[in-house]
Amino acid sequence: MRVTLKTIVLFLLLALVSATLSANSAHAANKSYKRTVEKYTIPDIVLVNQDGKKVRLQSLFTGDTPVIVDFIYGTCTTICPVLSAGFVNLQGKLAVTGQKVRLVSITIDPENDTPKIMKEYLKRYRAKPGWDFLTGSRTDIDSVMRAFNAYIPDKMSHYPLNMIRNPKDGSWVRLFGIMSSREFLEEYQSVVGK
Amino acid sequence: MNLSYPTLKTPLLMIELFTLLFFLSATSLFAAAPPPPNLPQGEIMRLGERMYREGVLPSGAPMPAFIRGDVEVDSTAFSCSSCHLRAGLGSFEGGVITPPTTGNKLYKPYIRPPSLGVIADRDGRDVYAKTVLERPPYNRETLATALRFGTDPTGHSFNDVMPRYPLADNDMSILINYLELLSKEPSPGASKDEFRFATIITDDVSQEDRQALLRPLQQFIAQKNQQLGMYNDFIKFGYTPTAEMKYAFRRASLDIWELKGPPTTWQKQLAAYNNNKPVFAVLGGISNSDWRPIHDFCEAERLPCLFPITDFPVISETGWYTYYFNKGFAQEGEAVARYLNRMENLSADTPIIQIVQDSPAGRALAAGFDKNWNEVGRPAVTTITLTASQLVDPAALAKILTKHKPGVLLFWTEAGLLQNLPALIARLPATEMVFVSSSYLGRQTANIAENIRNKVFITFPYRLNPYVGTKTGGFDAKIPILTGAKDFGDRRIASRTTAMLQQATLQGLNMIYDNLYRDHLFDVMSMQMDLVMRDYERFSFGPGQRYVSKGCYIIQLGPGENPTLLPRSEWVVQ
Ligand code: HEC
Repeated sequence: MRVTLKTIVLFLLLALVSATLSANSAHAANKSYKRTVEKYTIPDIVLVNQDGKKVRLQSLFTGDTPVIVDFIYGTCTTICPVLSAGFVNLQGKLAVTGQKVRLVSITIDPENDTPKIMKEYLKRYRAKPGWDFLTGSRTDIDSVMRAFNAYIPDKMSHYPLNMIRNPKDGSWVRLFGIMSSREFLEEYQSVVGK
Repeated sequence: MNLSYPTLKTPLLMIELFTLLFFLSATSLFAAAPPPPNLPQGEIMRLGERMYREGVLPSGAPMPAFIRGDVEVDSTAFSCSSCHLRAGLGSFEGGVITPPTTGNKLYKPYIRPPSLGVIADRDGRDVYAKTVLERPPYNRETLATALRFGTDPTGHSFNDVMPRYPLADNDMSILINYLELLSKEPSPGASKDEFRFATIITDDVSQEDRQALLRPLQQFIAQKNQQLGMYNDFIKFGYTPTAEMKYAFRRASLDIWELKGPPTTWQKQLAAYNNNKPVFAVLGGISNSDWRPIHDFCEAERLPCLFPITDFPVISETGWYTYYFNKGFAQEGEAVARYLNRMENLSADTPIIQIVQDSPAGRALAAGFDKNWNEVGRPAVTTITLTASQLVDPAALAKILTKHKPGVLLFWTEAGLLQNLPALIARLPATEMVFVSSSYLGRQTANIAENIRNKVFITFPYRLNPYVGTKTGGFDAKIPILTGAKDFGDRRIASRTTAMLQQATLQGLNMIYDNLYRDHLFDVMSMQMDLVMRDYERFSFGPGQRYVSKGCYIIQLGPGENPTLLPRSEWVVQ
């Protein structure tokens, strides 16, 4: 009797442990990135940029400059570095051709990412003007993620996503995955119509 | 790489050209393993660590790297340790598994855990970081090839997340040497069958507080040992444990490191304890004094110290070895700065006066405010430091108010002030706001006179939303716990210690498996998902983040003897 009870408790315990420990073990065919065209409704909220200035999100998504949005955070490993390296490279390439782009990174760690941390992040990546990093209240950040169909409950489970806004019709090219800088540039050019 | 640009004037293109040439020469010349560098081991560790952690070459130049063939990155932005983490055992984040990169692991055959597999292709999610699942051992030569060209010993290419590093032979050999030494020996205080822990208690702590700390700690140790017993029975009955189970159960012990006398002598006492019987980590602890001597000791010894109860943590952006609940008093001062900074109708020339009790708590609150106020680009405010007796002298205070005519008053004082507060506030302009700290006022916070409650704003660094999770992280019934005026002054020693053990720490200890390195414990703990806590709205982690509760409300009191706590800010104000 004693043993049975113990064993049951143990099994429960183990089930818990393995549930938290084991990662999804399936895997699938190699594919570089995935492209779709979407319409998004941007919530009317005010976020804060790396200079501590308030920014009305909708005001960034107007005008005839293409806008690219991604979701990152200041202390992130693995994909944010790769996404941000993509941003710097694109900035560099477009500086050469004299084309315009507005880059917007939105934090998914709004509690930790203060303007100071975001400013240091951009500096570390040698971002040039035209790349803003935004934070805000958790509620507002959640609503932005939802608006872009990119809601994640926890920052540790995020994924690589870039969205390019087409200034002509306000549609968004949604790019899931990691692109080479040539692919990224091509996606940009396809939006500006070259 | 694209060489059809019209000109090679920009440095970017020069680098690309250089790299192409480098790759060409490397591929043709590449045959021999890099020679071991002719340097003392300490120097290799230092130079290698700088490459690994900071992305800086021995020459001082940034380490070049490429992603996806042509995305050029400067490794000072992110380095090996950004992905493989400090202990080199890798990470799992964003659906990407970053494998270990220590000599111990690389020179053995390895089955790599697959990166996030087929998530049903929903919402544009897809597989983007596939991994080769098995590889034979590396040697120095194939490892250099892996780092330069992104292929494993069988020639399979890595996925696009791992950068390619065009390193010269000498630099490569320093880096490889470093990887060979990284997390080579297990840390002291841990073995296949045992974890040794200590907790730290200083002699300014009351018996009652001491017991509040020790009860949950000792329970935790007993629970670990009991689980080990059950596990052994389980094996005896012929069950086969899973890989995870094999490492989740170890004997555990807890020493109490008592620190006596002046703080200047603590480090010596700590060293004596630690030399006598080294521990893997310090679990919790408590002091009413500045935690700095203990913090510094743990940094120097690279000894993890997990969530001590202290109002005076060390505020540092680079400290590594102590996890704090939050920034203590400093966090409350900071919350006021953030709140005022975001107030729409506070004109820039409103005089802000900080009246600070001459005490560690007063100074910590003021320092927290000043630091943040400065960070948001505001000019310094007037700070007046007073003794406890000056603070209860209405005439002295009145003089200060007449002189400075503050629009905002920060009172970083004990509760003695409260009796004079109504008279003081009566002398001030109607738009006046007064800020106080609930942690410093303690229980008396609830007794702020009713007729001034609309003027008084209170920092409150704990949860306000009803807590409906479990009390211990176990299988408790989910009864909502409500916060109220009764909770002012409660240091929550037992509940915070219980929660940090059962939620944050246990998870970390289980997840290190047989990689018994202290740095790895931090790597694993820092990659945890956010936690909903009983005392705090949220704990959030992340590499390098060491103050896990980031919030502090600004509240006001409702009417009556048992006033409601009315939030005037969000948990975190940005
Ligand atoms: C942006 C994240 C990132 C950075 C930066 C990074 N790596 Fe990696 N590394 C990875 C990933 C992801 C893999 C796994 C690739 C795969 O499985 O296809 C990997 C694989 C490896 C491997 C192969 C391991 C094996 O078992 O085959 C080694 C060795 C390695 N990295 C060393 C390094 C070193 C040394 C540095 C710094 C000079 C570094 N990495 C920088 C993400 C990174």
